[in-house]
Amino acid sequence: MNKRYYYLVSFAAIVILLCGLSYYLLGEDTAVCEQYSSVARAPVISPDYTETVIPPNIAPLNFIVKEKGSRYSARIYSTNGGSINLSSKNGRIVIPAGPWKKLLNANRGQKLYFDIYAADESNQWLRFETITNTIASEGIDGYLIYRKLHPSQSRWSEMGIYQRNVENHRESVVVDNSFYNEVCMNCHAFCGNRPDKMFLDIRSMKYGSSALLVEDNATNKIAKRLGFITWHPSGRLVVCSISSPRLLLHTARRYVQDIVELDSALIYYLLDSGTVKTSPKLAQKDRLETYPTWSPDGRYLYFCSAAMLWSDRYEVPPQRYEEVKYDLLRISYDPNSDTWGELETVLSAKDTGLSILEPRISPDGRWLLFCMCDYGSWPIHHPTSDLYIMDLEAARQTGEYKYRRLEVNSDQSEAWHSWSTNSRWIAFSSKRRYEVFTRIYFSYVDRAGRLYKPIILPQKDPEFYDFCLKTHTIPEFLIQPVEVTGEKLVRVICGSRQIAVDIPISSATPKAEAIPGYEGPWRWRE
Amino acid sequence: MLDSTGELPTQGPGRPIRNLIFFVFFYLYIWLAVDLRLIYHGGEVITNFPAFYRGWVFFRGFISRPGGIIAYLSAFLSQLFCIGWAGALVAALQACLICLCCDYFLKAAGARRLRWARFIPAVLVLVTYAGYTYHFATTTALLTALAFVCLYLRIAAESNRLRLAIFVLLSVILYYIAGGAYLLFAVSCAIYELLFSRRRWLGLSYLLLAGAVSYVVGVFIFGVTTIDAFTELLPVSPKVTSYEARRRMLEIIYILYLFVPLTALLLGLWRIIGKRKVKAKPSSKSASWFRRARVLRWGIATGVLFAFVGICIFFSHNNRLKNVLEADYYAYRRMWPEVLKTYQEPVTDFFIIHAVNRALYHTGRLSSQMFSYPQHPEVLFLTGAEHTGVYWKKADTYIDLGHINQAEIVLIEAQERLGRRPMILERLALINLVKGKIGAARVYLTALGKTLFFNDWANDYLTRLESDSNLSKDENIQRLRSLMLDTDYDKTSYDYVEDMLTDLLKHNRQNRMAFEYLMASYLLTRQMDKFAKNLERLDDFDYSQIPRHYEEAIVIYEVLARRKVDLKGRKVSSETMQRAVAFDNLFARFRGGNERGLMLAAGRDFGDTYFFYYKFGP
Repeated sequence: MNKRYYYLVSFAAIVILLCGLSYYLLGEDTAVCEQYSSVARAPVISPDYTETVIPPNIAPLNFIVKEKGSRYSARIYSTNGGSINLSSKNGRIVIPAGPWKKLLNANRGQKLYFDIYAADESNQWLRFETITNTIASEGIDGYLIYRKLHPSQSRWSEMGIYQRNVENHRESVVVDNSFYNEVCMNCHAFCGNRPDKMFLDIRSMKYGSSALLVEDNATNKIAKRLGFITWHPSGRLVVCSISSPRLLLHTARRYVQDIVELDSALIYYLLDSGTVKTSPKLAQKDRLETYPTWSPDGRYLYFCSAAMLWSDRYEVPPQRYEEVKYDLLRISYDPNSDTWGELETVLSAKDTGLSILEPRISPDGRWLLFCMCDYGSWPIHHPTSDLYIMDLEAARQTGEYKYRRLEVNSDQSEAWHSWSTNSRWIAFSSKRRYEVFTRIYFSYVDRAGRLYKPIILPQKDPEFYDFCLKTHTIPEFLIQPVEVTGEKLVRVICGSRQIAVDIPISSATPKAEAIPGYEGPWRWRE
Repeated sequence: MLDSTGELPTQGPGRPIRNLIFFVFFYLYIWLAVDLRLIYHGGEVITNFPAFYRGWVFFRGFISRPGGIIAYLSAFLSQLFCIGWAGALVAALQACLICLCCDYFLKAAGARRLRWARFIPAVLVLVTYAGYTYHFATTTALLTALAFVCLYLRIAAESNRLRLAIFVLLSVILYYIAGGAYLLFAVSCAIYELLFSRRRWLGLSYLLLAGAVSYVVGVFIFGVTTIDAFTELLPVSPKVTSYEARRRMLEIIYILYLFVPLTALLLGLWRIIGKRKVKAKPSSKSASWFRRARVLRWGIATGVLFAFVGICIFFSHNNRLKNVLEADYYAYRRMWPEVLKTYQEPVTDFFIIHAVNRALYHTGRLSSQMFSYPQHPEVLFLTGAEHTGVYWKKADTYIDLGHINQAEIVLIEAQERLGRRPMILERLALINLVKGKIGAARVYLTALGKTLFFNDWANDYLTRLESDSNLSKDENIQRLRSLMLDTDYDKTSYDYVEDMLTDLLKHNRQNRMAFEYLMASYLLTRQMDKFAKNLERLDDFDYSQIPRHYEEAIVIYEVLARRKVDLKGRKVSSETMQRAVAFDNLFARFRGGNERGLMLAAGRDFGDTYFFYYKFGP
């Protein structure tokens, strides 16, 4: 009994000691400074959450104050009341989730203010100019799904598809390759930002190339890779680009890697019948077709197309590959009769002088977002790649497709963009600031199509991106999380059951697998 | 008095002394003979050595899954392998604790005569180190599971309900700490209850609970996959078995894991089957004398133990691998004389010769001594199909040459293959600094700043970047920038050695390493025309005389091409001419005769010359 009593007392003492220690190390005093000198500039904070528009349902925008000081204080408040007072010894301002959520909810459409104070060793407080942001009235879709991997080209040791609840800092794995060495996952595509209809491409030397189709809780493996996929809004068919990308390595450029498409074409997969078809208009022998995307009404398919400048489809790099520039085309489609209309050129590379890629139309059908770079079809590898926007409503009225470069661009690559369901937010990948490491940014789109200063996907640790060695890329918004478990997906990947399909591509556009010496498509990513 | 184990009495010093001697030997062997710094370095041979970073973000990744605590602890302790003596201490302590746990279990199982077997797991651990494999996390999980077995045996109460409660409590805690290694605990406890304490229902329920705890806690609470829930940290995990490099010596780890449950099972069955008491025979006079000779018995037993250990080491110590790791370790640290020492005849390992060639270049001897070592056309850049998966070993050669983009490519691939190892991040940070990609360099440097042993280097650069963002005063950065290509050539791969070296020389004629490697590649591939054509580049450098191997190649070229090379006033030395004549005479002696005899004789007298390589080389 005495011994037990001794153990109990010792245990309690240790717990109390640990609590005290934790409080000393982690506890912050939340006093608001009353006496201070003013500094006539805004403080530097990282990540840069200043002078921009933020979603009302975003996770706490934790930041670190990059000003000299021994103590820091921050007051976060808005017009309709509610304020959060925080202090820190190291400049890290970690905002509690509950008060933050309440503050943002109560102040939709209002300004959000950050008052930052820093104290020197002698406890003299400095107050910087107030940082002002705007809380948008319109929320952002609650989930974001993306690919996370090392910036590698040809090995798939550690990569996966992840989903993130953007209303908090929780990230979870949809599927990764921790069990199955050298399995590549990419091209995740959803029907209307909903997770119940999903395609995911799988590349594996061991399990072969396939596409996973998740539809209403059933997961099936289609025995062919389908590449870039776009769901028809009806959910009855998908259009995919099949291609044979090859890796190029540059000896002197800042970006070492580049990818060239030796050939590509569009096909479509009818889910009801399980058949794959194409049209001569989608798979022209002398052209490279890629990046299909449906208009929200399902009447038009937009895609990129470029003239093939080489006759030898096996030579790498192909001749004049740096002259390949893609046009933006569209074609009408009637899902009831399964018939395609005539091709129309929306925007010509001849006019823009740049290669037009990755078109994505806002769910309200008004805005067409795309990127342009100096050549080729892989904008993420080109620092010249920028985002552009086109008002389709205006084009319908005037018959002119006018576009403009967005203010959100940087001197590094911007690409892989997607729209939130309400058409007010975009997510995109950018190599700004971190260069090798692609990060995901959000930007608010107002009703006039103006985009606001992007904010990086917030993380609990404000310094997370300063040492994160993985790239986050291909963000897609979802209104709900993906429910199918990674384990189930892996079982299907490794299983032998699969839906056989025959891809009807002529020899003029050879199947990628048929290229001599070609180890497999998508050995290279991004 | 002797105890029933045949050892010195428990209270006597015999067993502790033997333990002490054994583990001191273990420690010294691991420290001095194995050298855990080589395992830490890994040299692209050990692909599962963990990285460790300070900070919450790194830690958080571990605590959110079963087995994370042990994985984190192992990752931390493994970093001490970087300091040879400290790593050896960690390894020896771990082995010692495993030994003590086994001893406790054997004692609890009443197998006092078998307590010598406690050394077997420690010897097995020693064998894995001698084979230059890394299984520290798995063995730490094993140790934790064994420690919990001992704890269970220590505190297990008489009441079945209480025993069950204790088991469940320990199970949940252990499962969270050690993941799948918990199964070892559950199985060992179950066997104990079934066969030793004869609580059969309890034992059977432990076996059922083993699966239930893993599934409920792992899959339902932590959301890991079923495979992970049952195999995390076990040697049967696909994370181990899917990789060839991680499967080395895995059989030893299987034996290690099976040791306690199998021993317990056999002992228990033996007890049940061999219940019949055997009447002890009266011992003979000589046996009685032997029993009384305590020191002699102790000495013999200890001798047998060390003989067993010696045999195990003899058969498991992988000297070839040690040399490869040493060559890479010293080359990474630019300790060139030590690199040259790692070459041991008749070893002709490509990796060692690759490092030796670098060492020869950096000590100014490549062009005059490279054929003192066995050579091969693929050895300079580790080209060839069997080296396509080799990345890390190639990186420094590319950096030294100034082929920065190629170095970046191979290092990124090395990172993908080997994980976020600090030495890889260090090189990637350097490359991005050279290329002026300061944003990316900062990411690598900040990550390195969170490591235990590379943080000073990283923090120094981060500080320097604050005042000089272009690092214009950093001599190494400036030198590499001067060598770096500024003309872009698109390639599908960089294995075109000749193109690469001529591109580098086109950019900077004074790139001495590019020149010597280009000439070496011509010599290795016997492209004598190209070799002769590039001799004019000698003017770009300050050679006091024509390097010996070049002289030998010139002689060969002039004989074969039947024309003189314009050496612009330089002359082939008389020593080389004499060697050429002697080599020719040797040929004359063996003309039309014994080819093998000729090769042996030439190898003996001219094995370090290009004459010999040209005639007999691959």
